[in-house]
Amino acid sequence: MAMPAARRLASRVLSPVPLSIVAGLVLGAVVMAATGNDPIDVYTEIVRGALAGPNLVYTIGWSAPLVGMTMAVALPLRGGLVNLGGDGQLVLGGIASVIVALYLPAPGTVRLVAALAAGIGAGGLYGMLAAWGETRWRVPMLISTLLLNYPAKNLASYLVNFPMRDPANGMPESHMVAVGARLPSLPGTPLSSSVVLMAIAVAMIIVFDRRSVAGYELRMRGLNARFAGYGGVDLDRQALWTMFAGGAMAGLVGASIVLGDQFRYTDGALVSPNYTWTGLMAALLANGEPAAAVVAAVFFAALQIGGFGMERATSIPRELTSVLQAIIILLLASRSGLRRLGLGT
Amino acid sequence: MTYEFEMVGIVKRFPGVLANDGIDLAVRTGEIHALMGENGAGKSTLMSILYGLLPPDAGEIVVRGQGVRFASPIDAIAHGFGMVHQSFKLFNQLTVWENVVFRAEPRRGIVIDRATARARVREISARHRLAIDPDAIVGSLPVGVRQRVEILKALYRDARILVLDEPTAVLTPQETDALFDVLRGLAKDGRTILLVTHKLREVMDVSDRITVLRDGRVAGRLETAATTQGEITQAMTGRNVVFEPRKAAGTQGQPLLEIDGLGVGQGPRPLVAGVHLVVRGGEIVGIAGVAGNGQSELVEAIVGLRPHHAGRIRIAGRDVTHAPLRERRRAGLAYIPEDRAVTGAALVATAAENLAMGFHRAPPLARGLALDHAAQRAHARALIQRFSVKIPSELAAVGTLSGGNLQKIVAGRELAHEAPVIIAEQPTRGLDIGATEFIHRTLLAQRDFGRAVLLISSELSEIQSLCDRILVMYEGRIVADLAAGQADEARLGLLMAGAAGSA
Repeated sequence: MAMPAARRLASRVLSPVPLSIVAGLVLGAVVMAATGNDPIDVYTEIVRGALAGPNLVYTIGWSAPLVGMTMAVALPLRGGLVNLGGDGQLVLGGIASVIVALYLPAPGTVRLVAALAAGIGAGGLYGMLAAWGETRWRVPMLISTLLLNYPAKNLASYLVNFPMRDPANGMPESHMVAVGARLPSLPGTPLSSSVVLMAIAVAMIIVFDRRSVAGYELRMRGLNARFAGYGGVDLDRQALWTMFAGGAMAGLVGASIVLGDQFRYTDGALVSPNYTWTGLMAALLANGEPAAAVVAAVFFAALQIGGFGMERATSIPRELTSVLQAIIILLLASRSGLRRLGLGT
Repeated sequence: MTYEFEMVGIVKRFPGVLANDGIDLAVRTGEIHALMGENGAGKSTLMSILYGLLPPDAGEIVVRGQGVRFASPIDAIAHGFGMVHQSFKLFNQLTVWENVVFRAEPRRGIVIDRATARARVREISARHRLAIDPDAIVGSLPVGVRQRVEILKALYRDARILVLDEPTAVLTPQETDALFDVLRGLAKDGRTILLVTHKLREVMDVSDRITVLRDGRVAGRLETAATTQGEITQAMTGRNVVFEPRKAAGTQGQPLLEIDGLGVGQGPRPLVAGVHLVVRGGEIVGIAGVAGNGQSELVEAIVGLRPHHAGRIRIAGRDVTHAPLRERRRAGLAYIPEDRAVTGAALVATAAENLAMGFHRAPPLARGLALDHAAQRAHARALIQRFSVKIPSELAAVGTLSGGNLQKIVAGRELAHEAPVIIAEQPTRGLDIGATEFIHRTLLAQRDFGRAVLLISSELSEIQSLCDRILVMYEGRIVADLAAGQADEARLGLLMAGAAGSA
């Protein structure tokens, strides 16, 4: 009994991956060759750009928020709930944590912990709001999560443009968080300790998914919600807490960036790297299975960071890696779509 | 004697299964031929091949002396086949004639020639005494009439061979008799009928000859006039099945399920209205009725899957009128749902996961907040063994199981709760004789154990052979409450059809 469930999962999630990646790389090579570049060189530069020496640290730093935003989608998706509200939850998490970190009259460490909690809570409650709309008023979450992004982003934007704006600065930004209330960086690296927070959160989600009673109930809901309800699962309450957890994950990402990397809230800075939507891709490709979602997210992060290295070393713009990512996603998605059809018959 | 069509040496292999192993089926012109067999005997595969949905691995089909090869149902229709499926393929919002002429419309230029279409539909209906109004909206018709619309559809396409798949599953006894009259008339008219069924009585009633399949082979070819139900059963199962008479009810105990004035839905036509019923420990109470008369809604309201608008519900003495489903289960309710694949199981999940549902919050399966996977598997193995489920391992997905084995998973899980109240909804639908017998024995054992069983079934024979009391439901109301002895088939049939006063 050497974890057959895990093996089954791994073969289901990973089997099309190598093929799709290889096919994507071959297609990418054709594009490069057509534009007069040596594909081998280019790929070497991507790999070096992502993994060699100090670059590995950048990849890890880029992975952390992306993995977090992947989990914000993957966890609800495990129960068949679609969370398109990552941007809103992320932004509210960031702004809530910066408010606490700036204005709570308490010693630095207390302020830091409270700020993290505020970020997690704000994101979580905002996710929960969408679930409440669906359970109480039958507003589909597919729509409400998406639309709730706008008030959140605009509220945060208003706050840093007017009441919270640092007038010493030309940008719409908040004041800097005091050093004592920042997340410390990991010794000897430029990485913030939020990487550790994220790793802990991910580990908790994986254990929850595989080992817990509630994780079992969530998986069963994802496979057949009617069955779960028939078996005694309170579907409404489950939706509320699952969306709280997903939103909380996004809130943690927002708080981590603000308290660990930028030390202030800058209008638009949390959403412009597109963590939410890349994370959505990764979560969808993994069908919500958390470990596979992490792998997908880290792969995308490496590809994106590798693209910077490639751009520095060759004449090819890093947009090529976006093209590669798109090709691989399309191939993967079409394969898993076909498989799903095969299962359905 | 000429054969309308023959299937010769049909072989069809699926991964790991030889579904058809050299089947010969010869059907004479103008006869009513019954194709019988338990689930998994190969009937469906053979019919799919006949209808061009599956290519055979070997063997051939001969229609009126000509070898044919069907690449799709279109070819089969072109050769005179008409198929009446178990689930009707009709547009409920459209009229009868629109359904019938669909894709074979008489035209005038580019517009449909409505007058001709309606006249032809009316004419075919009259000629075969189908008694169908071409202008009726299909969705408003009773099930039995909808089935005749399907037959009309085939006749409109000039089908010489009608294949009916379990046609009586949804009919009252009277509707069944009416259908058989139509079929006899069609046979007399020179058309050929192939009836796929597992109901012995009906086969004895209407067919001329019988082909029985077992394990992908022909297990018997019988002349109906010269055979007995016992002989057919033996051919189907390969053994002697003794139909045990129902054991007399034991001592009746306390009322365990009490429903008082239950109503579902509001307005002039509620789905369920004013239902009173009591089931005591040690009895099986049956609800008979044609599907769609509120039985499903009543059960869902009792279980807590659907809100109700009036009335009270008590389970084992506890008032659960406003309690959520989980509280009702905790009060002592087990539920074998009508649709095992949609409600009773998660098909892509493993047997272990499916069997854990409802047991997963308490020891030994749960240890605090954690789920003990080893205990979950052990629990599943124990139930699989107790209910002799044929499954390679407890880690196999239940979607791969046959209907009977999936039902054993669902029933096994629910009965393992040892709840005082058991609601069994169509518990043997689609099951073969062996599995049906098993479920029946299990329900009787539960009754003898002092549990209260509410059985909802559209199979009258099942209701009659198991129940101590029989309620009949019609248009959301209980229209009769009969002791087992008082309920013969004719009377039940009339009550099911709404003839409350006259019965």
